[in-house]
Amino acid sequence: MFDSLQAFLSSFLYDWLAILITLVLQAVAVILPIMLVVAWLTYAERKVIGYMQVRMGPNRVGPIGLLQPIADALKLMTKEVIFPAQSNRYLFILAPILAIAPAVAVWAVIPFSEGVVVTDLNAGILYVLAVSSILVYGTVVAGWASNSKYAFLGALRGSAQKISYEIAMGFALVTVLMIAGSMNLTEIVNGQQGGVWNWYLLPLLPMFFVYFISGLAETNRTPFDVIEGEAEIVAGFHVDYSGMTFGVFMLAEYAMMILISFMTSIMFLGGWLSPFEGIPVLESLFAWVPQLAWLSIKVAFLLFVFLWLRATFPRYRYDQLMRLGWKVLIPLTIVWVFVVGAMKYFSFGPWFN
Amino acid sequence: MIRSIKHQIKTWGLTELFKGLSVTGKYLFKKKITVRYPEEKTPLSPRFRGHHALRRYENGEERCIACKLCEAVCPANAITIESEEREDGTRRTTQYDIDMFKCIYCGFCEEACPVDAIVETRVFEYEFQERGPHIRTKEDLLAFGDKYEEQIAADRAADAKYR
Amino acid sequence: MVKVEINGQVIEAKEGDMLIDVADSAQISIPRFCYHKKLSIAANCRMCLVDVEGAWKPLPACATPVTDGMKVHTNSPKAIAAQKSVMEFLLINHPLDCPICDQGGECELQDVAMDYGDDVSRYSESKRVVGDKYAGPLIQTDMTRCIHCTRCVRFGQEIAGMMELGATGRSEWMEIGTYIEKSIDSEMSGNMIDLCPVGALTSKPFRYSVRAWELKSHKGIAAHDSIGSNIILHSKNNEVKRVVPNENEAINEVWLSDRDRFSYEGINSEERLTQPMIKKNGQWKTVDWETALQFSVEGLKNVLADSTDVGVLASANSTVEELYLLQKMARGLGVENIDYRHRQIDFGMDQHGFHTPLLQDSIEVVEKLNAVLLVGSYLRKELPILNLRVRKAAMAGAKVFTVNTESFDFNYKVSNAQSDAGMVFELAGVAKAVADIKGAKHELVADITANDAQKVIAQALIDAKAASVFVGQISQLHPDYAVIKRLADLIAELSDAKLSILPIAANEVGAHLAGFLPKNGKNSAQMAQGMDAFINLNIEPEADFADGDNALAAMKAAKFVVNMTAFDSEIQREYADVLLPVATFAETAGTFVNANGLKQSFKMAVEPKGEAKAAWKILRVLGNLFNLNGFDYVHSNEVLQEVFDADTSAVKFSEIAIALPTTNNDAKVKLVSPYQMDAVVRRAPSLQATPDANVETMGRG
Repeated sequence: MFDSLQAFLSSFLYDWLAILITLVLQAVAVILPIMLVVAWLTYAERKVIGYMQVRMGPNRVGPIGLLQPIADALKLMTKEVIFPAQSNRYLFILAPILAIAPAVAVWAVIPFSEGVVVTDLNAGILYVLAVSSILVYGTVVAGWASNSKYAFLGALRGSAQKISYEIAMGFALVTVLMIAGSMNLTEIVNGQQGGVWNWYLLPLLPMFFVYFISGLAETNRTPFDVIEGEAEIVAGFHVDYSGMTFGVFMLAEYAMMILISFMTSIMFLGGWLSPFEGIPVLESLFAWVPQLAWLSIKVAFLLFVFLWLRATFPRYRYDQLMRLGWKVLIPLTIVWVFVVGAMKYFSFGPWFN
Repeated sequence: MIRSIKHQIKTWGLTELFKGLSVTGKYLFKKKITVRYPEEKTPLSPRFRGHHALRRYENGEERCIACKLCEAVCPANAITIESEEREDGTRRTTQYDIDMFKCIYCGFCEEACPVDAIVETRVFEYEFQERGPHIRTKEDLLAFGDKYEEQIAADRAADAKYR
Repeated sequence: MVKVEINGQVIEAKEGDMLIDVADSAQISIPRFCYHKKLSIAANCRMCLVDVEGAWKPLPACATPVTDGMKVHTNSPKAIAAQKSVMEFLLINHPLDCPICDQGGECELQDVAMDYGDDVSRYSESKRVVGDKYAGPLIQTDMTRCIHCTRCVRFGQEIAGMMELGATGRSEWMEIGTYIEKSIDSEMSGNMIDLCPVGALTSKPFRYSVRAWELKSHKGIAAHDSIGSNIILHSKNNEVKRVVPNENEAINEVWLSDRDRFSYEGINSEERLTQPMIKKNGQWKTVDWETALQFSVEGLKNVLADSTDVGVLASANSTVEELYLLQKMARGLGVENIDYRHRQIDFGMDQHGFHTPLLQDSIEVVEKLNAVLLVGSYLRKELPILNLRVRKAAMAGAKVFTVNTESFDFNYKVSNAQSDAGMVFELAGVAKAVADIKGAKHELVADITANDAQKVIAQALIDAKAASVFVGQISQLHPDYAVIKRLADLIAELSDAKLSILPIAANEVGAHLAGFLPKNGKNSAQMAQGMDAFINLNIEPEADFADGDNALAAMKAAKFVVNMTAFDSEIQREYADVLLPVATFAETAGTFVNANGLKQSFKMAVEPKGEAKAAWKILRVLGNLFNLNGFDYVHSNEVLQEVFDADTSAVKFSEIAIALPTTNNDAKVKLVSPYQMDAVVRRAPSLQATPDANVETMGRG
């Protein structure tokens, strides 16, 4: 679609201008929906948690509170951005940019359907890992620039936590690569074709959990949100941020939540593949459903799980969090690398032939 | 041995986590208890302790006789009373102030009152936008009592048999 | 001594003591209404019924003398049942109007009902109602509340000496009242308010203003007579709300005169001066303290540059500290015209020194005297508490005589020696009679012949084991004061009696100790003839001077007048140049020296009104502004230290040669009402509404 647009534009514009316009339009086409999803994800979060606490959640702005995100956005945008007197002003501004930039850039390699991807990169997984790792700089720089002990403590906790859980996350991805034999996300999905039992969920079930838990930790969601533990360090790294600078941190966090859900769906839940493949009647009955819808349903469920977990579990103590990362998840993933290796050697099941 | 195996299964099977999730999951579908306040209101007891009022007798005479028992019993020292002998020789207040910021709405003043003059009505929807009006004077309280007398009387009547 | 067992506790007691006293001394509480330790036993309330072993019915503890081996139970079922029954009977006719009753919160009936009363009354018939009686401007009656304990009746009979209240009717129809409507006029009437265990008699000025539990108590000393009664000032929101006696057996027992009890109204008077004021070009301006003090200093310096003819006048109801600092400042400025004796006319004795007026018997001993001669004194109104002691003596059989300018109504039997010859000659007659009996001769009374009445007095004084001659206020006001003192001294000397020149104002003794006397200067009467400037402390010349018009004219003629006063008035605005607001006795720390020379210090009870300041502080600053040495006091105690190194002085009257006057000067005595004594009392409206406030009617008794 964008190729034809580019061809059409270059017929009456400079080539480079045509490419630029196309790229910008591509970026907007990806980022805008993501931002809208982020907006209503915050609404969904409040609604879901409210329901689980036998409350109603937001219900004042618009019908059943649907316009709440817009009200929130307006509020954040019109609020004053306060710079603490002793802060480092440049870093203070830079930190939210460092947080939002990777959270947006990472979407470049995510396929939404067969072939619907900005850049179908062969080293897609590596790109995702690399870019999302930069995210922690936002946290660290914010904590440093605020020149506040609470923000600084939050940043320290954040960096330590990210490092610990990225290892487990990386190992979990290694097992996926071992099965799929490719780092291209589209090919990983295509490798799972042939019905639910062909999805990598089954052979890599522990890795699915490890990856999702690490994803929780990476996005600083409950029960791993020690970096903003309000009981002990007020609001952690963003305690001194207000207005839209704070809003940007929020955007980044929710964009990352969506990303983790996408990645989990793609690698373990068959991406955009229908769960009814290979089942005689059902397959044809649901053939009309677009691929994006299947992916969206899977992502939506995972996002719901994010919220469900938040409504259910209390925050980990810092030492418990480290223990889980280093003593449980990392050994487990190492063991499972060997298990997968063995399965591959023996051509086990429908996945290793 | 068996216990430790059971324990391991429990741990690695994440049973407790799922148990927790099932609890919150169930509550997701429970009936919500939220009362959407300005449109919906919870039922109020006749004993509800809201804004204070000073009552009058049917002939328009104020009930308060300045005995100061409410002032004495008030645990928050919210009530200030000055008294004098009125021209007709009766004991009356010249000042009856309630500091609504100090008041804790315990209802002791109402309980202490020998003539049912000071009462706490079921009116709870009031606000102050500046300092000053939060000290309710005798005039305020009497006017409040006049305004809500019907309901005040009905509430006292409803509760009378339990006193 | 006998041994009594109360509730198992063995107590030693004097035989004949009443059970209730014995129990009280052992801190065993027995409820009571009619019993009062200072009154006779009536035993009519029956509240103190106790269970005595051997007696088949409960006995009233207040009327049961103890015997050896007696066993008493105050809280046995029988005693409790009896007390509860009595309580129920008392409450039958007592109205349930505690919420509007001023006694509520300090009511003996309430307290006892908490212990012995039922929460619900079994009596559902209509209650008795008794009409309220008018009882004057001080006492409010609510006779429905009366429980017929008759404490007030007994007080009137036994203490005040005027049976103003009595019981009429019997049982259901018994009423306490005056029978014929009249106000209760005793100078001690306020004590009935304290005595009444319920709210039947309450204070009229205090009515409905404050609750007992809202009051803060401050100990103080009464500031209107030289007895120095101990008082408790009750205040709320920095305002004195009432005054009650503080028990002191050596001085006022449990009583207090009406003057000391109700004078607090003056403190809260609307006429109080609250800000310093100065007169510039005939216009009064409210200024700050600094300006006012600077203005005073400059004004006085201007006058002092030409002459030291400056008059320093103070009320003898000021504290020792104030008087001392004022005379110290005056003498520092070279001014010697210092006096407090504004009502005195005859200063004839001054040339022989200053005799400190003192009561030579301690106040307690007065009630044990056998004979008393009151020389020029309406003691009842002058010093009510001392009169109470004299009355006790009289009741115990002492003979009391008076030599007065006119006949006054005393509340005990006195023999008046009074004739058209005048009190000086009456006194001379007594002196002559004493001299005749003793066989002595004195040239002063050589030409006098004693009549029979005078001989009776002389004989009684000589026969008495303990006799005293009291020279009172009327003598002070008499134009022949010096002669009176000389004669009184002669009588006392010849008859072996003690001579007491009674101080009247609260701090006359203190004024002597502080040296507030014209040792080398003019006295009040001379100052009233005219001075260049005046410094006044708590003085209102029109009312405080023997010749008020003259004093006022002198003030008006003076170039500069500094008035340290608690009150504002039109009259003083005419003559004064500076008005400095000072604190009253309740608002300052200070000391009064009473008639026995007892120094009683007291603390500030409430903050001074407005910007008023304690006078000793004002004087300290003035002293510093004049650059005088020794005015760096921090605390009033430091002032006191300097004063009490001084001692009282006595003049030997017998060595003074003096001649009898040639005429009867009694008519020149201008009597002063007890409620006109000082500026505070003059502004107490309730006291002013009593008959005693008026000289014409105060003799009515």
